[in-house]
Amino acid sequence: MKKTVLMLAMLLCSMVFSASVLAENDGVAATSSGKTVKMAGGTPGGADWRYPSPFMFYPRGPGYCRMSLLFDTLTWKDANGVIPALADGWEVSDDGKEWTFYLDRNARWHDNELFTADDVEFTIEYMQDHEGEFTWFETIGYIDDVEVIDDYTVVIDLSEPMASFLVDLAGNVPMLPEHIWNDVSDPLTFKDDDAVIGTGPLKLVEYDSATSSYQYEANYDYYDGKLLVDEFISMDVSNTAAALQTGTVDEVSFWGSEIDAVQNFENDPDFEIITGPSFWVLQVIFNCEKYPNDILDFRQAIAYGIDRDEIVSQVLGGGGMPANTGIMHPDSIWYNPDCTVYEYNTDMANDTLDSLGFTEKDSDGIRQYPIGAKRSGKVEFDLYTLKKFENEAELIQRNLEIIGIRINVRTSDWGTIDDYLKDGNFDTVISGHGGIANPQIMRVPSWPASTYHNDDYDSTFVAQEVEMDLDTRKELVNQLQEMVADDLPVYTLYHPYMWCVYNPEVLDTWFYTRDGIGIGIPLELNKLVFLARYGDANENGKINMQDVTQIERMILELDDETEMADANQNGRINMQDVTQIELTILGRAPIRIG
Amino acid sequence: MHQINKLAYYLVILFIILSINFSLPRVMPGDPLSYLTDPGADIPPARMTEEKMERLLAYYGLDKPLSEQYINYMVGIIRGDLGWSIYYSAPVLEVISGRLKWTLLLVGTSTAIHVTLGILIGATSAWARGRKKDMGLLISILSISSFPSFFLGILLTILFVIKLDIFPLCGAQTAFATYSSPFEEIFDILHHLILPVATLVISHIGGTYLLMRNSMLGVLGEDYIMTARAKGLSERYILHRHALANALLPIVTMTAMTVGFMVTGTIFVETVFAYPGIGNLLYNAVLYRDYPLLQGLFLFISITIVGANFIADMIYIRLDPRVKHE
Repeated sequence: MKKTVLMLAMLLCSMVFSASVLAENDGVAATSSGKTVKMAGGTPGGADWRYPSPFMFYPRGPGYCRMSLLFDTLTWKDANGVIPALADGWEVSDDGKEWTFYLDRNARWHDNELFTADDVEFTIEYMQDHEGEFTWFETIGYIDDVEVIDDYTVVIDLSEPMASFLVDLAGNVPMLPEHIWNDVSDPLTFKDDDAVIGTGPLKLVEYDSATSSYQYEANYDYYDGKLLVDEFISMDVSNTAAALQTGTVDEVSFWGSEIDAVQNFENDPDFEIITGPSFWVLQVIFNCEKYPNDILDFRQAIAYGIDRDEIVSQVLGGGGMPANTGIMHPDSIWYNPDCTVYEYNTDMANDTLDSLGFTEKDSDGIRQYPIGAKRSGKVEFDLYTLKKFENEAELIQRNLEIIGIRINVRTSDWGTIDDYLKDGNFDTVISGHGGIANPQIMRVPSWPASTYHNDDYDSTFVAQEVEMDLDTRKELVNQLQEMVADDLPVYTLYHPYMWCVYNPEVLDTWFYTRDGIGIGIPLELNKLVFLARYGDANENGKINMQDVTQIERMILELDDETEMADANQNGRINMQDVTQIELTILGRAPIRIG
Repeated sequence: MHQINKLAYYLVILFIILSINFSLPRVMPGDPLSYLTDPGADIPPARMTEEKMERLLAYYGLDKPLSEQYINYMVGIIRGDLGWSIYYSAPVLEVISGRLKWTLLLVGTSTAIHVTLGILIGATSAWARGRKKDMGLLISILSISSFPSFFLGILLTILFVIKLDIFPLCGAQTAFATYSSPFEEIFDILHHLILPVATLVISHIGGTYLLMRNSMLGVLGEDYIMTARAKGLSERYILHRHALANALLPIVTMTAMTVGFMVTGTIFVETVFAYPGIGNLLYNAVLYRDYPLLQGLFLFISITIVGANFIADMIYIRLDPRVKHE
């Protein structure tokens, strides 16, 4: 017995010893009495969003957001659209090629150096020199020349008009301090403390890759509004709902089928919920170069044969809405409500398949390819997808069995599927992507596959890129959506909802950004959340999303039970109208977007 | 001469391992940039043109012929440079070492506890063979050990975190806490460690216990135990001096064999408790085909397994002097 006790004691000692080796702080602690906000910001699986420098951040929404807390852009977006940031104001020439920016005179870098027009010129030239390494959106190539007029005026000349300039470039490219990056030859490996010096409202204190956690402190000298917090922490938690309940974090976000977790918070007075569009779409990608999916009528038959409402209710539990067949999100200003809709209709599907000659059925009800076709035997092919979309795939499998098409669902990891898509070596794939509040995402509708070819589509895409008139550009983007809905390089399934659930006692300024942060990130981590200046509109409770929903219901004369998704999808109301209503209520002038 | 042969033998083994580590990731379909198109991340991907993808591949030296990549890789290893993780955008060594310390703490502690407890309970159980005590231990340990570790982790979380609120929910340490003394930090780390360790101990103890019990039963049937009894030695003395050391041999082998897997096999516990560690790192490295990181991790795991076997050999010699002379 003595020996056992001794052994356990030794064990305990070794545990304490190893823990003490890991304890790095020496106990000299500055006790901060300020306000700390903690967010559940890790990824399931412990991947982290990397060091938040402009060249190292993980090239996805969460990575960009963590960087954007430190670095400002010339313009930014709030709940209503584009607002000034490092640029106080701007002008554009009539041909849309010359942009003049008037810079904020109070902006300073975190090391107290002044921000000037030279930094803007340097940033753009630096980005052009290191185009390959800036893994975020490709936009910098449009810039021809940057001209510094004086310390606070800069002119950017474009080689051709760029309709999305204010969002995709001015509102996207982080401004770098020339005095730091001037000497950096390989920005992808530049990981000093200096690499995160920006002009943003927060400063980075510490980043830990192993625990995927970030610690920021307030930049009290921020030029554009008073800070509402002293410290912001983003950390990895396993169970987000439990983390919020236990006070481990103050804000979490949920997605799609996690609607159950959100409903648990609905009746809890300690928490508030805002619902946002995810600007994300799940879709079936067809191989338009491979029989039988190269036949348009065949793809349409499949579209008629898939019950999207059932997918939304069964798989998502109602945590989303059937998607716009033209890809762009219904809450985006670019949404085209008139795209072809393929209501679930097995008769239509069967008739189309019959007329294509896929008539013979064998004993198990599966059709045969017509004689002399490129394939023979049963109409049967593969549907590749990730494990996480297996339920959707199996539902589609059951749907299509009814119209006599056999799908073999194969799940694999993304590396493998990505390879098939790039090589064009597939029949159908279920995959998804975000960014569908920005028309740039329409460049390759079947992305990451490239089996859809339509010259008319490509030229329309290019035309909208350079179209400076908003209404004309919208018309072109509408055409793109109609072409996708008619040609079906992809058949869109659903748009999930997103929810931000938070403890309003700690911070109550959370909101979803109009058409997404930057180029269209659907997350709630907009730096304006930490600033008093945004607060004015929503913070005082003059308007919140629930009121907006009520307004929408009143306009549409709907009762409380009716799904709002229907209202939006049919295009009876879009977010732009809602914003205009909000602004009218607040007595503010309507804004222009674009 | 014998020594030189042995050294050459190890060098050849090392060379083969390194070569396999290089080729294995490249045999898988997909490439290290496929993470950029992954739909799983719930968020807009950076849509990059083919041209830009190629520029990036070139930046990482992945456009070069395989032979050149292989030579660069070997030269790098000789120079102690494991390369740059593409997915984590950081030096491979830094990525691994940042997580390794937590894995070592977690695996080290839980292995020590489950082996010690397994030995003690296994020996007790064998000693009381067939009696109520034995049966009780056998049934209870096997039944709690048969829970999958993630399920066990969730159960412990619900009970001790959500209901009783005596342990933190997740993590290895309170994020960015400020401590007034080093003791406070040590306490914080241990506080976070208990539930993950308990999960691992419970889910691994069954194997150790069964092996120890069986091994002990075998030893107790040996002639020398009867001789010891005949000499009139006390039962306790026989158990500790004669039976235990001999029964330990298979445990040593098993522990050495499982340590390598433990390092990467804690993934469920890491996920349930958001505990940083090598398990999830390896998972992500495989998922996103991060060649340099995979090479580094495989190298590290090979070394761990070889090292654990080496240590097992040393312990063997101590426990059983006959091994040395063979």
